[in-house]
Amino acid sequence: MPRGMLKSRRLRRVFVKAPGGNTKLQYKERKPSKAVCAHCKKVLAGVPYATSAEMRNMPKTAKRPQRPYGGVLCSTCMRKVLQEKARSEK
Amino acid sequence: MSLYQIGRICMKLAGRDAGKKGVIIEIIDNQFVILDGATRRKKVNVKHLEPMEQIVKIKDKASHQEVKSVLEKVGIIVTDKKSKKPAQRQFPVRKSKKTVMVKEGKTKKPVVKKATVKKAEAKETSLEQNLDSKAEKIE
Repeated sequence: MPRGMLKSRRLRRVFVKAPGGNTKLQYKERKPSKAVCAHCKKVLAGVPYATSAEMRNMPKTAKRPQRPYGGVLCSTCMRKVLQEKARSEK
Repeated sequence: MSLYQIGRICMKLAGRDAGKKGVIIEIIDNQFVILDGATRRKKVNVKHLEPMEQIVKIKDKASHQEVKSVLEKVGIIVTDKKSKKPAQRQFPVRKSKKTVMVKEGKTKKPVVKKATVKKAEAKETSLEQNLDSKAEKIE
């Protein structure tokens, strides 16, 4: 019988094959969903998808690319936005 | 004449200088130019640039100071970052709660004492002066 904390579905259940041939149940922490471009919904590169505790100890530079709209828009969408901005200026 | 000529103001679209404006100073070939201004002074691919309408009069291979003075007339602000030497850096020292408490106690008490002492001294001096003046009058 699992412990009480393991009975709630807070933790992910992973079946692992043991060397003896029998399967064993392991409990692992769930990860948040991957960061996605706000415009085209593509998965963002350079943005880690880690638990909040891991993200807290990470430096700011490791969390998102160092450019305008970094971590919000993908690079192609960001370029389009900036292009429009440049063309609207006189 | 190509669109990317010397003196053309451009906006960078890629990298960490994206969204910043600069001037073309030098043309290397039909793919690469050298850009300077609010961006870093760098060799840039033309694909990463968006040309603007303005063209500025500037020398070929102009220095950063010249570029800065020209761009500020047009209204583009150029800020230079100065890298600090490691000796100049001052890191804030964290105070633990205990030390703070001790310091407050130490600082507060003598201030009160000093004030009282000063007042007492002032009273004494004033009294002495009065006495002296009275003594003089009597004499």
